[in-house]
This record gives sequence, C-alpha cells and structure tokens, in this order.
Amino acid sequence: MHYPWWHVPFLTAPMLIALVSLLHIVVSHYAVGGGLFLAVETQHAYRSGNRVYLSYLKDHAWFFILVTVVYGAITGVGIWWTIGLASPLATEALIHIFVFGWAMEYVFFLVEITAAFIFYYYWDRLDPWTHQVVAWIYAFSAWMSLVLITGITAFMLNPGSWPAHHGFWTAFFNPQFLPQVLARTGGSLLLASLYVYLHAALTVKPPQLYRLIESRSARPALLGAVLVVIGGLGWYASLPPSARAALVDASVLNVLMVLLFLCTAAVFAMLYLGPYRNPSWLSPGFAILFFASGLGAITTGEYIREAVRKPYILYNVVLGNQILPEEIAPLRRSGYLEGGTWTEAFVAARYPQVMSAGKVDAAKLLGLPESDQVHLGETLFQYHCNDCHAAAAGYSALTQLTRGWTAEMIRPVVEHPEKAHFFMPPWAGTTEEAELLTKYLVSIAPPHPPGMNYGAGSAGQ
Amino acid sequence: MIDPAQLIGPSSALGAPAPYWFLVFFKVLGFTLHTAFMHVWFAGSIVALLLGRSGGVHSQLLSARLLRRMPIVIAYGVNFGIVPLLFTQVAYYKVFYPATILMAWPWFSIFVLLTVAYYGTYLYAGGLHEGSRLTPLRHAAGWTAAILFLAIGFLFTNAFSLMANVAAWPHLWLTSSVAGAPMGTALNLGDPTLWPRWLMMFGIALTTTAAYIGIDSSLFAVETPDPYRQWGRGFAFKLYSFGVFWFACAGLAYLATWPVELRDAAFSGWRAALMLLTALAPGLPWLLLMRQSRSGERRALTWAVGIAQFGVLALNAVSRQVVQNLQLDRFVDVVSEPVSLQWSPLLSFLVLFVAGVAVIIWMLSKAVAAGRRRLAPDPAAEPR
Repeated sequence: MHYPWWHVPFLTAPMLIALVSLLHIVVSHYAVGGGLFLAVETQHAYRSGNRVYLSYLKDHAWFFILVTVVYGAITGVGIWWTIGLASPLATEALIHIFVFGWAMEYVFFLVEITAAFIFYYYWDRLDPWTHQVVAWIYAFSAWMSLVLITGITAFMLNPGSWPAHHGFWTAFFNPQFLPQVLARTGGSLLLASLYVYLHAALTVKPPQLYRLIESRSARPALLGAVLVVIGGLGWYASLPPSARAALVDASVLNVLMVLLFLCTAAVFAMLYLGPYRNPSWLSPGFAILFFASGLGAITTGEYIREAVRKPYILYNVVLGNQILPEEIAPLRRSGYLEGGTWTEAFVAARYPQVMSAGKVDAAKLLGLPESDQVHLGETLFQYHCNDCHAAAAGYSALTQLTRGWTAEMIRPVVEHPEKAHFFMPPWAGTTEEAELLTKYLVSIAPPHPPGMNYGAGSAGQ
Repeated sequence: MIDPAQLIGPSSALGAPAPYWFLVFFKVLGFTLHTAFMHVWFAGSIVALLLGRSGGVHSQLLSARLLRRMPIVIAYGVNFGIVPLLFTQVAYYKVFYPATILMAWPWFSIFVLLTVAYYGTYLYAGGLHEGSRLTPLRHAAGWTAAILFLAIGFLFTNAFSLMANVAAWPHLWLTSSVAGAPMGTALNLGDPTLWPRWLMMFGIALTTTAAYIGIDSSLFAVETPDPYRQWGRGFAFKLYSFGVFWFACAGLAYLATWPVELRDAAFSGWRAALMLLTALAPGLPWLLLMRQSRSGERRALTWAVGIAQFGVLALNAVSRQVVQNLQLDRFVDVVSEPVSLQWSPLLSFLVLFVAGVAVIIWMLSKAVAAGRRRLAPDPAAEPR
C-alpha cells in the first residue's frame, strides 16, 4: 500500500518470485557444493598424481563456470529484480535490516568469481599448491555466501526476537538460521554430486575414470543427505506454530510434502543402491533420473519453505499483501483506500466526488453508482488480495474459490479472512470498503455448476 | 489531476542503516566500477563485431582479443552492478520501487535478456579459441548478444530516468493499470532526456572501450607482433576521439532537454565547477592516448590512461548523482531520512571488504606471475 501493486495476470506477481527462485536455487546450491567438490577433488588428484582425473576436473570446472557464473549469477540478480517488483515493502524492510549482510555477501561473490576464473583459466600455469589454495578460496567464499543469504532468508520465516530488539545480529542469527544452513549445505553437497554424475555420465568414456568419479562423489552425497535430514528436522522444530499448522492445513502443501518425501526418498535410495553399492548401475539414464529426482526434491522443498510463511512475507513483520501488522487497526478506522499511497491517489483521480478535504470519505463510497462500487472493489482486490489470488483465472483464482457463493457468504470472509483461514491476512479496511470488495467478488463469482444431484429438496440444486 | 508528490510513500520506520553520505559514496563508487566493465561490453561488443567483419589482420586480431575476454568482463560488470543497486534501494527506495514497478515487465526482462546475451557472448568467444571456428550460429549469437546489450542499456536508462521523472508517473500509471494496479508495461518514452542519456552512455562507453584497447595494446598484448600493438594504440586514440565527439554531441542534446530550473541549479556555485570538470575530463585520457599512439609503449603512460579514464567515469557518476538529486529535490529529501546506524555490521562489512580486496589482489598477483612464467603444458590438458 506504500507502493503500487504490480498486476500480473493469471500467475500473480509473487508467483514470479517463486518461479525465479526455483530457477536459481537449482544452480546456486551447485555453485556451493560444486566448489567444495572441485577443491577436495583437485587436492586429491594432485596428491595422488592422477593426471587423468585432474584432466576430468578441468573439464568439469569449465562446465561449472558456464552453469554457475553465468546462469547462477544472473538468476540470483533476477531474484532481486523480482522481489523489488512483487514485494516492494518487504524488500524495503529487508534491505534496511540487512544491507550490510548483502554487502558482505557481495564481497564473497567478488572473491568467488575471481577465484573461479583464476582456478580455471590458469589451470596449467599455477603451481599445484597455489591452484589448490585458489580452489579452497572459491569453496569457502561460496559457502560463506550461502551462510549470509541463509541468515536473511531464514529471518523471513522466523525472525525470533527481532521484532522486540531490532538488531542486525538478532535478525541474522534467528532460530531458523542454523537448521537452514545445515540443510542448505547438505543440499549443496548432494546436488553437486548429482551434477557430477550427470556430467560424468554424459561425457566420460574410460570405465576406470568413471568408477573413480562415482565412488569419490558418493560419500559427500551421503554426508549431504544426512545434513539435509538433520537440517530439515531442525527447520521443522523451529517453525512458528502457524507455519507448522499450514503444512497440515493447506491441501497443496500436503501434496507437495508427499512429493518432497518421495523425491528425497528416491534420491537417497538411488544414491545408496547406485553409486555407493553398485557403481556400475550409473548409466546416463540413471544419472538423468537421479538428477531429476534431486531437482524435484530441492525445488519442492524450497516452494514449501516459501509457502508456509503465509499470511506473512516476513513473519510477523510484513504481511503478504504489503501491509505492516501495526497498520491494520488504523486502516480499519481510516479506510484502506485512504491509507494506501497509491489507492488514495487513484480514488482522488477517478472518483473525486467521494473526497472530502483531500481524504477519501468512506461514507460516500456506497453512494456511488453500482458499477463504480464494483470497480473500486476491484481496486481493493488488487491491493489487498492479488498477492495470493488471481481474479478470474489463474493461481488460486477467487472465481473458483467462490463459485456459487452469494453476497451473504462472501461478506463474512471479506470482513474476517483470518478467521476463515488462519493463513489469510486480516481485513484492513472499513465496513463500507468490505462491501465494495464483496460486490466485486459477487460480480465475478461464477454460478454453482448446474446438474448436480443432492437429493430432493436440497438448497444446492 | 494527481500531484506526483502524492505518490511518494512514507519513510521506512526502520531508518537508514548508515548516514546518507556513506550510502551514496558506495553507490557512486560501485557505479563507477560497474561502468568501467559495463562500458566495454555495451559499446565494445558492437565495436569488436564490426572490426571482425573488416578484412584487416590487425582489426581481426583486436576483435578476437576483445571478445575472448568479454565473458570475464561481463562477470565483473554484473557483480559490480550489484553494489549501486543495493545502495540505491536503501537510499532511493521511495522512487526506485514505484518507477520500476510502473515498467515492471521491461525491467523484469533485463535479467532474461542478459542471460541470453551472456551465453551468446560465450558461444561467440568459444569460436575464437584454438581449434574452433566461427560458425554462422556463433556469428548470430555474437550479434544477438551485442544488440541485446544495447537494448538492456536502453531499458536501464528508462528505469533510472523514470526514477527521477516523478512528474510522469501519474499519466503512465493511469494509462497502464487495472483498477489502479499497474500492469508494468510503461516505458519512460515521453521523457525528452531518455534518448540523449542513452546515446550519451554509448558515447562514454566508446571512450572506455578505447581506453581498454589502449591499455591492452600496451600492457597485455605482449605475445602479439609489434605492428599490431602500434596499430592498436592508434586505433584506441581514433576510437576515443570518436567517442568523445559522440559523447559531446549527445551531452549537449541532453543539456538542451533540461528544464530551466534544473539547468540553473546544476550550473550554480560548486555544481557549475563539477559540471565543467565532468565535461572537460575526457580531454585528459584523450591527450594521453594521443601521446601513447605517437610515443609507443610506455608503462607509466598506459597506467595514466587507465587512471584518467577511471577519473572520467567517477566524475560522471558524481555528476549524475548530483543531477538526480536535483531532479528529485521536490519529491524526496534523501539526506534527511531517519538513520538507525548499524555500527557493528557496517564495520564488519568494511573489514571484510578490505580483506576481500586483499585476497583478490593476492590471487591476481599469483595469476600475473604465473602468466609470466608459464609452466610446461599439461599433456592431459585440452586447449579450450
């Protein structure tokens, strides 16, 4: 409400964040795990004098740079782009709290890319010791960037005592910090092994080298799996009660939780039965399936992590519809249209007749012609509801949720959405505005599907 | 009729984490570093591709040298771009978010276009390595990338000019919104400063590319024959001259679009001296490049070219900031935002920044040393 709300048809703007984030994390975790893989394995190859393995590692480093330095880096910037567009108030708050956290992460990025380029482009020119040091500098920097960004994203789910104390370190070392660092570190190790298997399965021909790659990457993958489980349990234990309830309550999250468990179980089983116990099983097809299962697990996990925050975007700090919790009570008195920077300007421009002394007069709203009331109801929908609901068609479209509903059924939900579903934000407007929104929702609600048999005399007929 | 000032939201209750001068210092420093690299891909890509089409041996070699390094230039440029963006969002959030939301789709498309352009550059550069050749696909990828870089620059100019052009917001918003929610399809095309700004950026990018070529020809092209290096220095001087001419023409056109009050404010007191210095600054690297093209390889002269061009970029960044603040003066008082100083994170960042720079210098020194005493080639290594 401090900012204009970006109307994205069908998807809704926040779903773009989810989309870009998912596209990013499948590579950003590899950027961390792959860095550790290259550091450990380059060291091993130098120590064992295995020139063939070293040569493979150089090939892998090139693949790694192409994937992480280009796609990973740009999609990371893409997340920034998208959160500023789709969640401006939450981004404003995060940047004010964590600007130096991001600045520190940026320093590590800079060290990372310098190390990555020197590691690859000076492969045959640096002496082995310096080469290994550069690899470890990359690995450490990449892991530190994971630690720093996790402090920020974990804060979004559980800010701990920050609302009372407002300190940077209180925000950073929040209750979700350690579990998520463990889970993400584990995810990075595991995912890196899946990338290595995929890359090796498609590019390596000599069986001896292939077996070596498989066996060398199995143990870090298993370690990663253990860390994912420990971190995941810690994540669950540190969830706020509403997030834990959302996992059970929201049917889409039920389905995704099952999918997450299935994908994770498939990855663990394939890891144990394949590279660990029976390395010869790792055919290109197996590696592709393995990789796809890993991507399925990590993207589903990320989606769940984002979704359980509802109704907040920053838990207890900023609501999903870009309102601060402390603004709700004043808005219920003065009106949402009046309280919003852009909504007030919109009403003043389009409906000057409802303005009194430069303010939106809530009492005049219901005196507008019916079509104007519906139109202002749509404005309220855009600024109050569109963060989670498309209107006519698309993501969680309200037409589908209110099919066949009457004004009497819609009004109580509009006036107290948080009572209908605890993961919806409370209504932040006047009674008159609730009526406008109700009229809009009634205007778009399709009729109850005809032809359904509920028995004789049923009201549903 | 909406008063544009009405569209500026309230200040953050959290307060700025550092004083304005600190935020703007890093914003301007970051932007200067960003432009030092971004200019090379923005103008350098198209220059290199045009050179590649000409028949001359030297121009072919220069084209290959430029484009082979372009992926690394892009990586650093993108990274340095994070800094100004970060501090813009802290100090100018009241105008940054609304402006970018009004043009959300074009703004959002930047990172998609950049990904395509980045891979296109890699694809083209891959054809320049030993054992490879420039196939039609690689050619197409290179040209696509160069055109996309120009388009991305145009979109950036749109966003940052719209950020300062608050007066245009109401019209753009009301003509591209659904019940008051912007569709994000606006562009700042009605702003008379837009095209001159974009063209001005291209002009100064040509000068940075020229300075880069001059430095490369003198310092880094040690394995190339003498005639090439000499030609490179001459070409750098010519390109710089052309870039300065372009920059001056676009700059004058840009000045002509300023409202009288902005011109009066920008050319009064110390600001007039700053504007004058900014306009004259490219003269120094131009003179140095002229000398370099005539006197041959001189290390000190080459370093002086680099430092002088960095100074040009820094002055431009400072002037740009001063003008932006003047344009926003009516709407946002960035200096008097409440501050809630975060001492320990700020110091942690500064310490880490120094440590990070030290580590980078160490790695670069090792790389430079290794480049000088190349080890025996690894029989297992494939040329890439």
